[in-house]
Amino acid sequence: MSSFSRSAQQWATFARSWFLIDARMQPPGKIASMCSVRLQGKHKPIYHPLSDIGDHVVVMNTRHIAFSGNKWEQKVYSSHTGYPGSFKQLTAAQMHKKDPTAIIKLAVYGMLPKNLTRRTMMQRLHLFPDDVLPEDILKNLTEELPQPREIPRKLSEYTQEERDTFPMLWTPPEDYKMK
Amino acid sequence: MVFLTLSCWIRNRGPDRYWKVQELLKNARHFRGRKNRCYSLAVRAVRRAFIYASKARKAKRRNMRQLWISRIAAASREHHMKYPALVHNLLKSSVQLNRRVLCDLSITEPRSFLALAKLARARQQEGFRAALGDGNEPPGVFSRITQLS
Repeated sequence: MSSFSRSAQQWATFARSWFLIDARMQPPGKIASMCSVRLQGKHKPIYHPLSDIGDHVVVMNTRHIAFSGNKWEQKVYSSHTGYPGSFKQLTAAQMHKKDPTAIIKLAVYGMLPKNLTRRTMMQRLHLFPDDVLPEDILKNLTEELPQPREIPRKLSEYTQEERDTFPMLWTPPEDYKMK
Repeated sequence: MVFLTLSCWIRNRGPDRYWKVQELLKNARHFRGRKNRCYSLAVRAVRRAFIYASKARKAKRRNMRQLWISRIAAASREHHMKYPALVHNLLKSSVQLNRRVLCDLSITEPRSFLALAKLARARQQEGFRAALGDGNEPPGVFSRITQLS
């Protein structure tokens, strides 16, 4: 660049960070979009598609992701190996039972740019179904990302005082029967 | 007389074919195969190469702008702001920095970029207050700045 000034180069500008995301009770699409942004390096101002400046992303608790709506039954993952009679269609629930990391893996794969760098970026994505992470990955982690969705509290997690002081829209009369 | 003009009379077909050929082949020297040696093949390849170069000069401007925009978006997301909000609010604050300069600042002058992001954020909040609030000045401000069209 002609306008590139000789300012102090920050050390480790081109370092590869390791991000951790907890996918418990999160929509897999939002998790996947966060992962794809960081795998491509689009969160850095020095981004260039040819530079290979993506970071590593570790996703844990992929077994506990939460689809909204009826997607567990309605979302269909189709595949065909090319041989006749091998068209397989699996619902999200069946796919998740077979392999708890497959949903996020396919989502991230679809969100990355469709070029030869996609496979290298997928190799930098590490998915774990539960909390348990191997030691070498634990040692490499640099930053934890905040969860995209705020987990709503269950009714059982509210204290009795909070339940009593919660604003009511209307007070039912004495002889009202709840269904 | 059969040969009525000079161009029909002369029998020598020109002394400088070698140099004309060399001038074309010098543009083809880095090609693969016989295109870098043989004139007939080279003519076609060089013409295609020049056409690609012309198209690319136009596309380069587009690609550079797209790269600047994605870099500015990445830098503004580091400061909890989105690219459209940043650019629109900088425009409303009459900061006429183009995307090339913003991109360079975001890479080499991070603190200046942070200052610009804060400026855009303040202008955004002011816009929200003007749209949603009751038209009063915010507390602590006793005179409004002149509205620049």
